[in-house]
Amino acid sequence: MSLETELRASDAALMERMVQRDEAALEALYDRYAGLLSSVLNRILRDTQAAEEILQDIFYQLWRTAAQFDPSRGSLPGWLMVIARNRAISRLRQHNPAAGEELLENTVSLPFNLEGVIAQRELLGRVKGAIETLPKEQRAAVELAYFEGLTHSEIAERTGDPLGTVKTRLRTALETLKRAMHP
Amino acid sequence: MNGHPTREEDFDLFALGALEGDEKRAIETHLATCSACAQKLAEARGRIALLAFAAPAAAPSPNVKARLMSQVRGDKQRDPRASAVPHGPEKTGGFFGRWWAAVLVPVGVALLIAAVVLWTENRRLDEQLAALHADMQQQQQQLQEAREVADLINARDTIIVPLAAQPGMPKGTAHVMYNAKTGMLMYEGLLEPNPADKTYQLWLVPAQGNPISAGVFNAAATVTDHFLMKLPPGIAPKAFAVTMEPAGGRPQPTGPKVLVGAAS
Repeated sequence: MSLETELRASDAALMERMVQRDEAALEALYDRYAGLLSSVLNRILRDTQAAEEILQDIFYQLWRTAAQFDPSRGSLPGWLMVIARNRAISRLRQHNPAAGEELLENTVSLPFNLEGVIAQRELLGRVKGAIETLPKEQRAAVELAYFEGLTHSEIAERTGDPLGTVKTRLRTALETLKRAMHP
Repeated sequence: MNGHPTREEDFDLFALGALEGDEKRAIETHLATCSACAQKLAEARGRIALLAFAAPAAAPSPNVKARLMSQVRGDKQRDPRASAVPHGPEKTGGFFGRWWAAVLVPVGVALLIAAVVLWTENRRLDEQLAALHADMQQQQQQLQEAREVADLINARDTIIVPLAAQPGMPKGTAHVMYNAKTGMLMYEGLLEPNPADKTYQLWLVPAQGNPISAGVFNAAATVTDHFLMKLPPGIAPKAFAVTMEPAGGRPQPTGPKVLVGAAS
């Protein structure tokens, strides 16, 4: 199977081949999404070794449970990003990994096709651009919530801002991001 | 909470994990029984997941992939289903199983068998060598292509141009990634299949001069079309377009524009 063929294959087709125990399909999916997951794992954990352990675990789980994947129920890269963040935050906060990570659960609907490198890079530019437009305090609140897994009151405690202010900042930031990232 | 969450952002806040206490419990309780809101939560999870793109790029070490593949291969070896080969009933005795019968086999027959075995082995080794050589060439080609893709993606002056479908034309979307300095171009898109006697053709429309063909392709339903193309370096693009042309393509565009994107 040529690189060209693997680049063309859809996530769903690669997952079907994984069910048939095709290692090349796993490699193709790894090549497609490992960079993205590695970025978020490293940003959350700031520990390369821990990030790489989780990255390997996630793709190993994908290999073992490929038969459970139903493309009509959600986006594979969306699911991968959710699981990567959940596991990294669990590790960061020394919690056990969150339950309910099976492919049938945690349905994630993503309005973008991330199967191609150009699509990923274009979205990267769009998300970074949207975040950069946020006022500094809103951006900080989003980053504390997303990358450190903090709740409203934990953010308020960390920043010293009133709880109501934190809630408003986060809600406003999410509204802005939603508008900016809408396809 | 008996009713639906009052604001759309409640789903995003829930997916983000920012809610706590009563606010969180109320949404959890409601989601257990409301499929419409479960769908909204799935969409919110998707939006929140995109924040992953805000993380600074960090490529994993190649060792991770090597360890993963080794782990997977180890599993396959341990899995009896993966390595099970159907066995027939084990033979016991038989003509060649009996020492006294083997003694009777003429020496000439034994030599003939040995010659056939050696010839077969030699041929098998030749075939293996040829296959390894072909594999090596293919891997070198793949490596070269991967390098070209990486260079194109990482170059600061690489541009990405979204191509939009034109009214009345087959539906689809695409992106072109292009570096004028090196002439490397990557096309990625999803288009409705073309008729059998037609083909899609990508064009770079330069700031000055005639369009330059940047690849001919046939679209298949549900499969992302993807190709790399090396154009002459130094051409500043005004736009990119995909046209529908007679099978095999044309030196200059003759058919209708299907996708168009300005390079500015």
